[in-house]
Amino acid sequence: MILIIVWEIVGRMDWIAGGALPGISEILIRLWIDRGDYPGHIGATVYASGLGFLIGNVLAIAAGIAFILSPTLLRLMRGVNIAIFALPPIAIAPILVLTLSGMAPRVTLAALGVYFVTMSATVIGLSQYDTRSADLVRAYGGGNWLILKLVRIRGAIPDILSGLRIAAPNAVLGAILAEFGGGGRWGLGTYLLGSLGRGDPARLWGIGLVATLIAGLSYAIFAVISTRISGSTRSVTLNTAIPSSQGENAYGRPIQALILCGTITLPFVLWWAFIKLTGVPDLIAKTPYGVFEYLFLKDTSVIARGKLMAALGQTLPIAAFGMIAGLAFAFLLAISSRLFPGFIKGFIPVALVTQTMPLVALTPLLVLILGRGYSVTLWITISVTFFPAFVLLVQGIQRVPQSVLDLPRAYGASAWTEMRIVSIPAALPYLFAATRLTVPRALLGVMIAEWLATGTGLGNLLNRSRGYLDYSMIWTVAAVSVLLSVAIYYLVLIVERRTLVRLGMQNVE
Amino acid sequence: MPRQPAGISLRAVGKTYRGRGKTVEALKDMNLECSPGSFTALIGPSGCGKSTAMRVALGLESFDSGEVLISGQTPAQATASGITGVAFQDAALLPWRSVAKNVALPLEVLGRDPSKYSVEIAQLIELVGLKGYENALPGELSGGMRQRVSIARSLITSPKVLFMDEPFGALDQIRRRQMNVELQRIWSETKSTALLVTHGIDEAIFLADQVVVMHADPGRVVDIIDVPFARPRHPDLFSNPEFHALTDRISMVLHEA
Repeated sequence: MILIIVWEIVGRMDWIAGGALPGISEILIRLWIDRGDYPGHIGATVYASGLGFLIGNVLAIAAGIAFILSPTLLRLMRGVNIAIFALPPIAIAPILVLTLSGMAPRVTLAALGVYFVTMSATVIGLSQYDTRSADLVRAYGGGNWLILKLVRIRGAIPDILSGLRIAAPNAVLGAILAEFGGGGRWGLGTYLLGSLGRGDPARLWGIGLVATLIAGLSYAIFAVISTRISGSTRSVTLNTAIPSSQGENAYGRPIQALILCGTITLPFVLWWAFIKLTGVPDLIAKTPYGVFEYLFLKDTSVIARGKLMAALGQTLPIAAFGMIAGLAFAFLLAISSRLFPGFIKGFIPVALVTQTMPLVALTPLLVLILGRGYSVTLWITISVTFFPAFVLLVQGIQRVPQSVLDLPRAYGASAWTEMRIVSIPAALPYLFAATRLTVPRALLGVMIAEWLATGTGLGNLLNRSRGYLDYSMIWTVAAVSVLLSVAIYYLVLIVERRTLVRLGMQNVE
Repeated sequence: MPRQPAGISLRAVGKTYRGRGKTVEALKDMNLECSPGSFTALIGPSGCGKSTAMRVALGLESFDSGEVLISGQTPAQATASGITGVAFQDAALLPWRSVAKNVALPLEVLGRDPSKYSVEIAQLIELVGLKGYENALPGELSGGMRQRVSIARSLITSPKVLFMDEPFGALDQIRRRQMNVELQRIWSETKSTALLVTHGIDEAIFLADQVVVMHADPGRVVDIIDVPFARPRHPDLFSNPEFHALTDRISMVLHEA
């Protein structure tokens, strides 16, 4: 309530950047005036994101189960999985609009935004199961399938719901970003694009708020379902057995090397297959070889490489810094959710706003406030990485069962000590999972900011190439950013494995 | 020399854990013979391998040397054929299932239809003193109550071989004595071979035909003491001087270096 009043005063007074932040009454008035336009746009966005959400999640959960049943499949598909997640929607949007028609680009982008999160959550949920219950099933001769059916799937539901919670705003964001690629009369993204030139912050904020509301509603629905269900799923005593890694080194070196090859090449194969399937001409759709040729075999290659390296040098440091900052912020906040649960409840709406407000609307506003320097990029990166990490961590900390909490308290430990000794270590697997989740988003956030505001780095390179119709560079940048994400992802994974095994915890994936 | 197929048979079983730079010999040359229909108690300090021995017998752990036969079959065969029943030290109930559904779990694992067993399930729940709690969730029960559900669950398949790992640990003394008497009654009706891992010497003597004492480092059997008391055993036995003498004797074996 106080927040709203402060907002109103600050806005009316034009205290922030000469009117970039209007008072809430001004926004609402603008909303009312525009009310005839909204239903059509809202309808289109909701339809696209809803359908994408459905399709993406069904695929994600099925994939998650398949990956648990076959660790080899998981390994093979890892490259594809992270590639899907790391695809900057910015680069993909125009490509999708050119290769697919109608609502398909938006549904696709929404589904893509959802897939990795839910799939990841499903895999985490299925991995972190109570081994004692599994022992019980085994003691009656039950095999892996029965353990999956009776123990793991039901046990994974809180994690899957947590994934759905995070995925919901992603679907909205994906659908809106796809609208930026062009095409389509209706949709909040299209509406936004049309309004950007008018210099009317009140309307921009109005659109942003409506988008946030939609995302927030979907988040709330799953949050309610989640609370209802997780009451019965929390284990009643903490499991301390070290689970054996499933068939980790079942294969000899040669086969492992083969699998690794498969992992790396599969995304490229699918890339090539997609182009062939959609039948888009060579000029627009570059195959992996086309990109390679562009970078190394042509006369202009030296220039191309030069541009690329310069852009990388600008993008990488900021992305890294923003990611670490976002994670730290999420971690601190997740801890406070235990200590100050009321504070968190008040904070989540704010977090949702920073998360869901289409970055493309937020960016010009932030630019007005902060200028075109690195701070804009940083803030956008932080806000982009923060939310999913936050939800995942809170879930992890909430999973600590009551009896384990009681123990330090029975020795007079303060809430903070209990956190330090039990909750934080127990949340460690989730912290690693959150880090892995965050890597591509940080890169994405930076690129969006660069594209719209700062005029430096990979994002800017991408934008300029669209203007020059340099399709080769567009595909190149997309490929490079994906490869980058993958490399950093694997780095995090290695650190995670080493640390968790040393601590005797279950390795996720 | 022909050997009668023992209910539970461990011969020269060895098991070593290797992990995180340390080697632990959990079982060394372990021999255990439980004739069909007998009741054996395994007793020993923490780390002596008694739980490991039980897990090996259930096929939950592999073993490095020796032979394990349950009713003449390998552990894997025995568990799959549904002749085993188990109650773990930790109740390990599925948190999202009601008491009745938890008791029914072994049936589902074995591919049997739980609805055909509703009478047995109700009877077992009443037997362990949880009548009225059929639809309660584990989160709503105390530790002792959860353990009782675990015991009911171990009996639902009418097992020929029953494994119990300190199932009464969480119960109070009064309830524990009651459960000991009940367990003896149930067991004598089912005529199953029972192996009980326990800390309680009096419980071991009251229930078992033979008490196997183990020591740690490495896990090994140091003595097997026969219990001479006739069955059925009455709760009065707990006050019997001969009972106390046997308790002292086992205590000495347990504590000698």
